[in-house]
Amino acid sequence: MIIALPTKESGEKAFVSENLGRANYFYLYDTKTKEGKSFKNNFLNELHGAGVKTAEFLLKYSTDILITPRIGEKALEILLETDINIYKSTEKIARENINDFLNDNLEKLY
Amino acid sequence: MKKLLFLSGKGGTGKTIIASSFIKLAKSENFADCDVEAPNLHLIYKKGQINSKPYYGLKIAKINADKCVNCGICYDNCRFGAIDLNDSNHQINPYKCEGCGVCGFVCPQGAIDFVDSISGSIDLYKDNYLFSTGSLKMGSGNSGLLVTEVKKQLDNHYEKITIIDGPPGIGCPVIASISGVDFVLLVSEPSYSGFSDLKRIIETINKFKIDFGVCINKYDLNIEISKEIKAYLNKQNYNFLGDISYSEKVSEIINNNEVVVDYDFVVGKEIKNIYLNTMALLDW
Amino acid sequence: MQIAILSGKGGAGKTLVAVNLVNLINLSTYIDCDVEEPNGKLYFSSEYNKKDINVLVPKINYKKCTHCNKCVDFCRYNALIDFLGKVKLLPSLCHSCGGCKLVCEFDAITEVKEPIGYIYQGDYKYHQIYGGELKIGKESGIEIISQLISKADKEKINIIDCPPGNGCSVMESIEQADYCILVSEPTIFGLENLKLVHELTTLYNKNIGLIINKANDYNNIIEDFAKTKDISIIGYIPFDKELAKLNSNQQLVSDNNKFKPYFIKIIEQIKQEVDL
Repeated sequence: MIIALPTKESGEKAFVSENLGRANYFYLYDTKTKEGKSFKNNFLNELHGAGVKTAEFLLKYSTDILITPRIGEKALEILLETDINIYKSTEKIARENINDFLNDNLEKLY
Repeated sequence: MKKLLFLSGKGGTGKTIIASSFIKLAKSENFADCDVEAPNLHLIYKKGQINSKPYYGLKIAKINADKCVNCGICYDNCRFGAIDLNDSNHQINPYKCEGCGVCGFVCPQGAIDFVDSISGSIDLYKDNYLFSTGSLKMGSGNSGLLVTEVKKQLDNHYEKITIIDGPPGIGCPVIASISGVDFVLLVSEPSYSGFSDLKRIIETINKFKIDFGVCINKYDLNIEISKEIKAYLNKQNYNFLGDISYSEKVSEIINNNEVVVDYDFVVGKEIKNIYLNTMALLDW
Repeated sequence: MQIAILSGKGGAGKTLVAVNLVNLINLSTYIDCDVEEPNGKLYFSSEYNKKDINVLVPKINYKKCTHCNKCVDFCRYNALIDFLGKVKLLPSLCHSCGGCKLVCEFDAITEVKEPIGYIYQGDYKYHQIYGGELKIGKESGIEIISQLISKADKEKINIIDCPPGNGCSVMESIEQADYCILVSEPTIFGLENLKLVHELTTLYNKNIGLIINKANDYNNIIEDFAKTKDISIIGYIPFDKELAKLNSNQQLVSDNNKFKPYFIKIIEQIKQEVDL
């Protein structure tokens, strides 16, 4: 299972970003290998459709779970058509949000 | 840390006057003006050192006259009427170009380049506070990203209350300003157009599941409509935070670049009351 | 003849001026170009006919699409994405530039109509009333504005009520105007926003006049600016609680004998600038 989070910095100790499409980085964690990796958000400065390109990115990396504080309408429109489940993050670092999710302590958004 | 955003739907209801008062009352040292199409908060808080940087929009087309043979293919394909013909010379009208890239694709001479265009500026004032603001150049569309950039300049670990003066309307810049805030304070006015715009902005906020409260500015200019607005809020179970009276003194204070709550009169007191009601809802 | 009414700031009194000028100018037409917040029609009791306004958006023929992603890469607005191996359109991001159709080498893209809002038309006494509304969630109302402006009757006086701000929708609204009226209020906020629209009318070389609304003891804030920029002030509408109340109830204040003279004076001034 691949878990994705928008983060302010790179690495698992980074705080979750307030925005999804305009996050500085995305942290992707694979529960099978127990390994995570940060990706720089290449669409951060897009004038149009940053959220949409993020959704495209998440699909490309076969994300199963997205943990985010909020999600824009257009990105949501796309993700609702997929099997990705979306959970609400808390003001903690990426690693703690992943643990909270694995321990069933996060609220499901969609 | 709490972030408080001021919105109104309709323009000119008094958002900035109330936001500037809240900054004083909360002793906030971290605030922003996200009304990038018509910023005004800097007229009150413009002290200190300013750090300004350009804001770039989409790259726009530029015709290289040395390569252009005036074949007119770009002119025929541009859907935005952004290519002007002056004495059979083709030129791009930068105010109409939307940067779609079609002209560059169809040009057989490779005579069209896409160049950076400055669409506005991102400004940061540093005094004993941090004040982030920005302005969009005329004719530039799409200010959502500029709003995001303005908000990014704030200190996100600030422990007290961050105050953000938002843009009018319900479009893209409003949505960009809503993201990440804890509470929205809506400034309404008693007119039928104000009331209908209030309902539209509430509809927009509700999509984000963010808590909000409403105050009515100049409520006494039409007491009947003020009552209708309050009845509506009550019925929907929305927070009503208070009324503000009309007073000629308000423009006098603003025109001296000052803040309303620094004066001891009815409007100052009413805004203080709204401030206390808001803080109670914020658990502050 | 087109006369555009504009102000950088919301709530400065654009619509107040526009609807009351229409009310007093014989046979004039009112065109409300504020398609995001269309409030002008609330002043005129009328039955309205609606007409949908469409823009062109791409439609993908999946039988022909080879999934080469050229269109996805071309779209500067990110309106096309690669959705699990299929090209997907997000119509709300599309600017109708037609680029995707041009770059497709497999003839897999056609263009179809997509409604973005509507325009409406009605009659009030001897006046034609036009306006439009952009659907919530749509990015640009330019096409609706351009359709509205095309309704202007060349034989008559057309009063164009512009959107607030100084963005592209205002540019579209004033492009063909013969005369522009700037409406401001005497506060430092009003002045700041007046400067923005003045910059715009200067760029377009428009003949302009200025009205000070909510006039009070601070008119000099605006007057001083008008003097330095050589803008003629064509009228004052004093702040008055009764006027504010009538207007907030969406009534035409120029039907009231106390306020009618302000607008008559403004019309006299406009006549010195253009032929009414």
